[in-house]
Amino acid sequence: MPPQSLISRSRTLPFSPDEIPGVWRGHELAPVKARSTGYMALDALLPGGGWPIGALTELVPLIEGIGEVDVLRTALKRLCDEKRHIVFVRPPYIPYAPALLRAGLPLPRVLWIDAAHDEDARWAAEQTLREGAAGAVLLWSPAAADRPLRRLQLAAEEGQSLAFIYRPAVTLHNSSPAALRIVLRPAPGALGVEVLKARGGRGGAVLLPVHACA
Amino acid sequence: MLWLCLFSPVQEKHALKALAGWAGQFSSFVSFDTERWLLWLEIGASLRYFGGLPTLLEKVMEGLNALGLKAATGIAPTPEAAALLARQMHTTPVLQLDHLRQAIASLPLGALAIPPAAIGGLQASGVMTAGELLALPRDALARRWGMQLTDYLQRLLGERPDPRKPYRVPQTYYRRFDFAEPVKTVEGLLFPLRRILYELQGYLRGRDAALQALNVALRHHDHADTVLTLRTTDPQRDAVRLFALLREKLERTQLPGAVMEIRLSVAHFVAWRDTQLHLWDEAEHHDASWSDLLDKLRARLGDQAVRRLGLRDDHRPEKAWCVEDNVAAADLPPAFPDRPLWLLTPQPIQRLPRLLGKPERIEAGWWTGEDSSRDYYIAQTEEGSRWWLYREAATARWFLQGIWA
Repeated sequence: MPPQSLISRSRTLPFSPDEIPGVWRGHELAPVKARSTGYMALDALLPGGGWPIGALTELVPLIEGIGEVDVLRTALKRLCDEKRHIVFVRPPYIPYAPALLRAGLPLPRVLWIDAAHDEDARWAAEQTLREGAAGAVLLWSPAAADRPLRRLQLAAEEGQSLAFIYRPAVTLHNSSPAALRIVLRPAPGALGVEVLKARGGRGGAVLLPVHACA
Repeated sequence: MLWLCLFSPVQEKHALKALAGWAGQFSSFVSFDTERWLLWLEIGASLRYFGGLPTLLEKVMEGLNALGLKAATGIAPTPEAAALLARQMHTTPVLQLDHLRQAIASLPLGALAIPPAAIGGLQASGVMTAGELLALPRDALARRWGMQLTDYLQRLLGERPDPRKPYRVPQTYYRRFDFAEPVKTVEGLLFPLRRILYELQGYLRGRDAALQALNVALRHHDHADTVLTLRTTDPQRDAVRLFALLREKLERTQLPGAVMEIRLSVAHFVAWRDTQLHLWDEAEHHDASWSDLLDKLRARLGDQAVRRLGLRDDHRPEKAWCVEDNVAAADLPPAFPDRPLWLLTPQPIQRLPRLLGKPERIEAGWWTGEDSSRDYYIAQTEEGSRWWLYREAATARWFLQGIWA
């Protein structure tokens, strides 16, 4: 409890603290560093107004091929523009070079780690995150247990990069230590983004116009 | 000329030569004598570069420490005087020829590199110190004990030149280490490996070079050698870093049996660029830690698991990309059509999803005899996935080749 005198003084303020930029507001746990997703509607749902920096973001696409990576495009492209690297760790298929280029990710900025096992993949992601050498790490992992994710969360905090883990839908039954947990679902002409958990954010759902082509 | 002599009566056979290679970082003139366990470095020319004698000595001692070696040092204007001081653990440097005679006067006669018979004879006639010997008339000494003795005294005092055979640094690096007892665990290999890598670091500094690949062969008693190749993204010469990478690799290697011998070799070198300068630039700093990271990943996951991507000039989608070692910035031709993020090995599909838009005809490879005329479509499955399909013109069969993730 703050001292009584402080509370009474705050009542006399001629404006609401919400109007002052940079003032910490009640529903935020702590200021969160973030990078814009490129979608205003999505930024509005996320703590700090974008993909959190130095925290693990868990993405759970209900099926593949719905723009589950495309949703990161703007953030990844901006990192490349800043000469940072993007690391794909054990993606389910070959990351297709022409598609990367079309998305604005120059090939020298992209690394594909084709680890043989999930354990190696998680190790590689952890090392990459911890060093902070890359701008963003995208890991595909079926790991269900809490501990591997916690390790990744810690590594992300240490390296202050963007950290994304793609997990299969079955893992939704488990709890997650990730700071941000998002379900991605198909929607007609759009990608449905539902923020299940957002440490210090509002949460909610939004439809994004990915695949604007065709 | 100023000579630094190291006296290191170590047991291992190849050690002194390796130490000579290591010493190249401090001096461009290194010479050694395996019989007497002596190694000389001419340091007169290096003093300015290293910022004076105390700093140079400190660096040499640090280096010896890292190698796990103990060596006595002697510094004098002639090689034999430096050797004499080293063997007597006389650590005060003698910098000028004029001071030499006085500096060694009190050293015992037995310390001099003269035949034992001469020492015995001289001691019997009451000559007990170097100073007393030097006071005797040279022609009488030569008559009694031979020219070899007086020749030595002249070289000792710098009265006549003492040409030494310089150690020529070999163009490729090769170091063998024999174990007295076969070593069964990786831990047992680490200690000598660390030392060899420090020697290598000295060798690389001496040549102003760095490496991007090194080979380690482990000899077993009754199995073929275990051979490891370590590759690094950027030119390297830091012993600590190379050791960490090699250790990671070794710990993931199944040894078929005990190890009798380590052979480490480096065949190619590259010029060393001073990476310290690059640290000023934040973006470049990221690049330095980036290449460290790549090396670490490769050491554990294998070279082929850590991939950079490139483009290839081929119309066939499956041939339009490649895995590359050195990625140059590549660009697509203008107005290149949209492509899916995931590329799959073409899989035949039974039920055709809803096709979107017009087909893209891709014809390529006919000159190789492969008829690959295909019509590509973007399709949407019932579940909502976006696929990249093609119909093979020749067979009218449908294949899935990409997914828009």
